[in-house]
Amino acid sequence: MKSPFRRMATAAVAVLTLALGATACGGETAGTTTADGKPVTIGLSVANLQADFFNQIKKSVEAEGKKQGVKVVVADARGDAATQVNQIQDFISRQVSAIIYIPAGATAAGVPVKAAARANIPVITVDRNPSDAPGKSFIATDSVAAAKTLGEWAIEQKDGKGQLAVLQGQLGTTPQVDRQKGFGQALAGAPGVKVVSQQSADWAQDKAYSVAQDMLQAHPGIDIFWGQADAMALGAAQAVKSVDHKKRLILGFDGDFAGIKAVRNGTIDATMVQQTQKMGRLSVTTALDVINGKKVPATQLQPAFLLTKNDTAKADQYIKNHP
Amino acid sequence: MSTTSSAAKPVDAQPAGRRPKAPAWATGLLTGSRGPALGLLAMCVVFSVVTPYFLTQNNLLNIVDQAVILGLLALGMTAVIITGGIDLSVGAVLALATMVLGWLSHDQGWPLLPSALAAIVVAGICGLANGLGVTFTRLPPFIATLAMMSIARGLANVITDGQQIVGYPEWFDNLSTTRYLGVFTVVTFVLVVLYAAGWAYMRYRTGGRELYAIGGSAEVARLAGISVRKRTVLVYTVTGVLVGLAGVFLAMRLDSSQPSAGTGYELDAIAAVVIGGASLSGGVGSVTGTLFGVLIIGVLHNGLNLLGVSPFVQQIVIGVVIALAVMVDALRRRDPR
Repeated sequence: MKSPFRRMATAAVAVLTLALGATACGGETAGTTTADGKPVTIGLSVANLQADFFNQIKKSVEAEGKKQGVKVVVADARGDAATQVNQIQDFISRQVSAIIYIPAGATAAGVPVKAAARANIPVITVDRNPSDAPGKSFIATDSVAAAKTLGEWAIEQKDGKGQLAVLQGQLGTTPQVDRQKGFGQALAGAPGVKVVSQQSADWAQDKAYSVAQDMLQAHPGIDIFWGQADAMALGAAQAVKSVDHKKRLILGFDGDFAGIKAVRNGTIDATMVQQTQKMGRLSVTTALDVINGKKVPATQLQPAFLLTKNDTAKADQYIKNHP
Repeated sequence: MSTTSSAAKPVDAQPAGRRPKAPAWATGLLTGSRGPALGLLAMCVVFSVVTPYFLTQNNLLNIVDQAVILGLLALGMTAVIITGGIDLSVGAVLALATMVLGWLSHDQGWPLLPSALAAIVVAGICGLANGLGVTFTRLPPFIATLAMMSIARGLANVITDGQQIVGYPEWFDNLSTTRYLGVFTVVTFVLVVLYAAGWAYMRYRTGGRELYAIGGSAEVARLAGISVRKRTVLVYTVTGVLVGLAGVFLAMRLDSSQPSAGTGYELDAIAAVVIGGASLSGGVGSVTGTLFGVLIIGVLHNGLNLLGVSPFVQQIVIGVVIALAVMVDALRRRDPR
């Protein structure tokens, strides 16, 4: 019979090894310090790293952190608001100097911002902003304006006539609402373009594929598909291929790598490229400004760039060096 | 080790003798869960050494706060797994409960307390349906609760058409944030009371012991005169009620209700129960073991976050710990005594 001590020792060693391995991965880097001499650590709480858009921002924040000599710690909420609240509490325990918060969940939760405020830790919000407890500064794409630009381009391509099908993002999320609004503004000036079908595909490519297939069953005359994110536009493109191969105008939004490549090789016709790299950099510099007591603007909306299948040079440049 | 011979005796008792005698309640508290307890202890020691932020009063209280939702789901799941069943619907029913609360209190103008009660009742009904499905229609628990998972998630979205509900009164949120005696929020206090009650019931009440017998062999239990169906239905219903309560607590914690809440929580709950020493084939498990399982998962997430470990690496570490914990436990149980 094994002694309980041996078991205890085995368990302890196992855990120790794991934890030490983990520490090695999260090795400390010395660098910039705050006014009172503490090294600056920025906590980045990401909504969902499975989405390339957020992953790009994360990479940019890490790169900028390295450049500025500050330590960046990352937590991934995997789309779950409750997990995110836990992670931000952990950041607070860890006494980070500032938090960059990309809210998960349909509407951004104000709870993490309030908790950080109680601990005097400034919060910069990115992409979504809790209305009841906004961050010190809010950084996002001007989605309304961007969607309007995209809508106007599509209307121009179709000479103001056509049947439009919309694959919506998760309903009620800020980006979904804003993109819908902007596109609607463009449509208001083109009575010839009719929305024949719109349905949510929850930002997901596979879901968009089947939803678009069903839409084509019901409305074979659809000649414009708009996915409110590139992934959904790709799903729609695939559905068109599987149903009847007819030439349709397919629009995306986001301009992540997959989206840009799809525009480059003509799978989708246009997308709006959001400046993920710039937003990541900006969130770090804004956080540093707040830490150093500088005033920062309450909102910093960034324009997005229209990229169409005719702009191959621009697409190549974006793939090499994402804005 | 026999786990089925007697329903009235602790099935996972340690052999007597050669050990210093501790008070009966103390041995009872740790019975069958020493492995997870030691694992938790070891983990705490390690994190205390490698990060200065771990062993602070605030952080330890945070861990308890963070454990509440998972703790409630895992408590019900423990009983379900001990009977040899499984409940895949807890995450979705959690979302349904939190949406019922939000919808009634915000869209239907109900006062908050009746809304919360209604949310718990709705979740209880889901649990009841699971139980009836498992017993009377003879669906395997995996299938019955898989169906409920889909139904409850759908309902959670239907009642507000997928919209989130934001903003509860301050006194309501405070139940999960204001600490009394410097330690317990109302929410954590309720969790502690429920775990104590669950532990006592599973260990000392005939009804609790019967669940072990059912998990060991439902047929033998039936022949021994245990009303297997009634017990099983009860277990799933109570689990539903606990999940409903968790849904209300989640709304307090997030100051909002979201139909996508609780996605994947069923797997976390199952992991906590299994880390706590339960067997998925039924008949083995304990409430204290589950408590340690929940805390192990909580401490692990918390510690890795404090260390600033990359989220991708965290997932790997957590997977390895789950596998290790269960492996060590299985080896331990194979020991002939």
